[in-house]
Parts: sequence; structure tokens; C-alpha cells
Amino acid sequence: MATLHSPVVNKEDNQKISTERLTPQTAYHVPLWKALTGLIMSYVIVGAFFIAHGAIGFAEKGVAARIIFFHVPCAVLSSIAYFVGFFYAARYLLKLKSEKIKPFLDDYRSAAAMELGFLFCLLATITGSIFAGVQWGSFWNWDPRETSIVVMLLLYASYLLLRAANSLKPELRARLSAVYAVVALVPAQFLIWAVPRILATMHPTTTLTDPRMTSLSYKMVLYPAFIAFVLLFIWLMQLRVRMMMLWEQHRHNAQQTMETDYR
Amino acid sequence: MSGSLWYQQAVALWRKDLRAELRTRVALGSMGVFALASLMLIALSMLSLKDEVFVDALGHSHLAWDNPAKMALLWVLFCFAAFAGLSHSFVHEESTGTAQNLRLFMSAHAVYAGKLFFNFTVLGAIMLVITPIYMLLTGMQVGGIMVFVPIMVWGGMSLAAVATTVAALASRAHTSGALFGAIGLPMLIVLLVLIMQAAKLCYSAHIDTISIVKDTGGLLSYGILIITLSALSFHFVWED
Repeated sequence: MATLHSPVVNKEDNQKISTERLTPQTAYHVPLWKALTGLIMSYVIVGAFFIAHGAIGFAEKGVAARIIFFHVPCAVLSSIAYFVGFFYAARYLLKLKSEKIKPFLDDYRSAAAMELGFLFCLLATITGSIFAGVQWGSFWNWDPRETSIVVMLLLYASYLLLRAANSLKPELRARLSAVYAVVALVPAQFLIWAVPRILATMHPTTTLTDPRMTSLSYKMVLYPAFIAFVLLFIWLMQLRVRMMMLWEQHRHNAQQTMETDYR
Repeated sequence: MSGSLWYQQAVALWRKDLRAELRTRVALGSMGVFALASLMLIALSMLSLKDEVFVDALGHSHLAWDNPAKMALLWVLFCFAAFAGLSHSFVHEESTGTAQNLRLFMSAHAVYAGKLFFNFTVLGAIMLVITPIYMLLTGMQVGGIMVFVPIMVWGGMSLAAVATTVAALASRAHTSGALFGAIGLPMLIVLLVLIMQAAKLCYSAHIDTISIVKDTGGLLSYGILIITLSALSFHFVWED
């Protein structure tokens, strides 16, 4: 199998890329965990409407509450994605400091996690707003959790904006965006943990922490929903990192072709 | 200079920036004019809210234009004023080419500390002038002075810390103007929430130890964490 040797990644990264099979396969078989992701996600979609009963105390005889099977995992993932992005950003900076190499794979992973964080944050905001409209009579109530998720969305957008600055060279872009991901961890932490706790909220706070607050039919769908969404996140992240690698390879090849033509 | 300790270098940079600023007054002037103009806009637009009452999401009714609301708008004003002028210190170094000299003769920590204290000095000067005028125009009260002053000082320090880090990032990206506000302001929303939470203590009749720790702890830890993480990662931004 031909492996991709991107000029901007180091030897160790290249070994990892080669095992990740960047090139198209002639006889492609679906790995077990990916098949499992599809199965669990299908179960969650069906289960949200046919296994879970209408929730007590919710609008439309509890039917409106079915959106939580998609809203809550999206909201949780939007937080997890930031930690993943931060982890790889910090690892990138630490490697840069200690190994004197350019560990671009960590940069790509950090960026992919941030992009997916933005996506899940957007989905959580939209689904939350729909639910608020049905349940509380207004699509926006300035609840601390509503505000938090929108500010998280802005933080993700800022990261992507910094990364998209045209004048940046790949190495500088990676460094600056990694530093931003590290420093913006502070407001992100406060948004995830502190703000919804120091300000009064309309959101239920014990749905996940106290199992007695959730019925069995809801647990049967909600818990698999978390697994399905986490697996989906890993899958999407893997695809996005491969895309970035291929794009970088393409960019490098185009640059080399231009230099050859010029000579 | 390269042989001296980092804090001596930081003080030297702070003095150099201060002298340059007093010569041209670009940052002070732009922030001052921006803050005064915003102040007039706020005071005028809030006249109609003077006697308005609003009911929050939890059903509690409040005066719309009360002291915490006035304090919130004062800090919104400071945030925008900071972002109107505090990028100048880094942008100026990059545009005049003196950034390379600083890289050669000073450690990254010294540069960060020097710029942070310079930005805090400029912001502090603006706050000292604007706050009394704002209080005069809007009728905002100080409340508990022992809470008010630390909030103003530490809030200003945290604001300067965010602005310094973001200014360094934006100046390195060479798209300073638009990018500076876009990547900095989302970080300030959390700071504003924490300042508002702490500011409630100024106007509370009964203050117990738990609420002081809870309400001011967030603001204090936010500033400490931002400064620590910025200082630790600054050399990745600064050095080539």
C-alpha cells in the first residue's frame, strides 16, 4: 500500500498516517466500530420515537422531550470537543518545545476537534432553541446555559477565524491557533462548569447526575445516544484529519510543480 | 539588557512604551475618545429606561436601570475601549520593525510582562477618568468601597491580560484590526459575567463570607488563569 509522505509531517507522524490508510482501498471493508456506530445511531433514532415514552411535565404530552436524545449528546460533545482540541494543541506546543520538530498531525487533530466542536455546538444551539420554543414558549430566554453555548460557539468561531487568516504560514498558523486553544480554555472552562452553576438556570440540572430523575425507557435511549455520538465524533474527526493531510499534500505538490515550471 | 533579569527587562520595556505613548498618545487618545463618545451614547440612550421595571426568566422583577445594570454597561464600555486601543503596543512594534530587536534582547516572558503592565497602566488611566464621569452622568453608586475598588483593579488587570494576549496573536497574524476584536471579545463575555456577579456584592445589604468567596473567586481565578496560561505560551507566539 502506498503511503502518503507529507513534507510537513515528521517521521513518527508519517508512520501513524500510513497505518490510518490515507489512500483509497480497492477492497474496502467497514471496521467493526464503524458498523457499530451506524447500528447504535439507527437504534437511537428509532428508539427516540418508539421506545421512549412521553416525558412527564413536558409540552405536547411529553413528545417535545424526545429532542433531548439529540440535544443533550450534542451539547455534551461540544464541551468534550474543546477538551480534545485543547489536548492536541497543548501536545503540539509541548512537542514543538521538546523535540524541535513540527508535529503537524497534532495540529490537524486539534483543528479537526475544534471544527467538530463548532458543528456540535451549532446543533445543540438549534435543537435547544426549538425545544425552548415548544416548552417555554420562546425560542430564546437568556438562560445561562443558552448564553453559555452561544459564547462557546463564538469561541470556536474565533479559533477558526484565526486559523483562516490568509497571511499565515502553516507553521505559524499552527502555533498561533494552538496558543489560542490553550488560552481560551479558561473562558471555555468557566462556560462549561462555572457560569451555569453560579447563575440560576431553567435547565434541569439532575437529569444526568441523578439516575432516579430519568425513567428506564429514557435511559435505554439516552445512554446509547451518548455512545453513538461519541463514536460519530471520533469517526468524523478521523475523516477530517485525513482530509487535511491530503489537502496539505496537494498544496505541497502544486507548489513543487509551480517551482519546477518556473525553473 | 540581555544579561539582566526578566523583571528588569519588563520594567525597561514598560518605561520605553510609556515614554513612546506619552510622546504620541495614540492608544490613550483613541481609547479616551472612544470611551467618552460611548459614555455619551449610553447615558443618552438609557434615559428612557430610568423608571422601567423588567421581570426576569425566574419571575423576579427588577428596576431595569439599577446599579448592577449601570456597572455592566460601564464594563462593556471598558471592554470596547480596550479593544479600540490596546492592540497598538504590539502592532506598533511589528510595523516599525522593533519587534525583532525585542526578540533579540529580551526574553519572551519579559516582553509579555512589560506589555501587560503597560496595557494595564493605559487602561487604568482611562478607567480613572471615565468612571467618575460615568457615575456623574448615570447616577451609579459605588456601594461597598472595599469590594468596588478590588473589582475595578482586578477586572482591569484581567481585561488587560486578555487584550495583551489577543493583541500579540493578532499582530503576528498581520490582520490586526478585524481579527483583534473578533477573537478577543468572545473571551471577554465570560469576564463580564464574572465581573457582574462580583459587582452584585457592592450593592448587597447582607454580605456573608461564602458569597464573597463564591462571587469574587470566579473573577480572581479567571484573571490568574489567563495570565498564567498566556505567560506560559507567549514565547510560542512571540518567537520566530
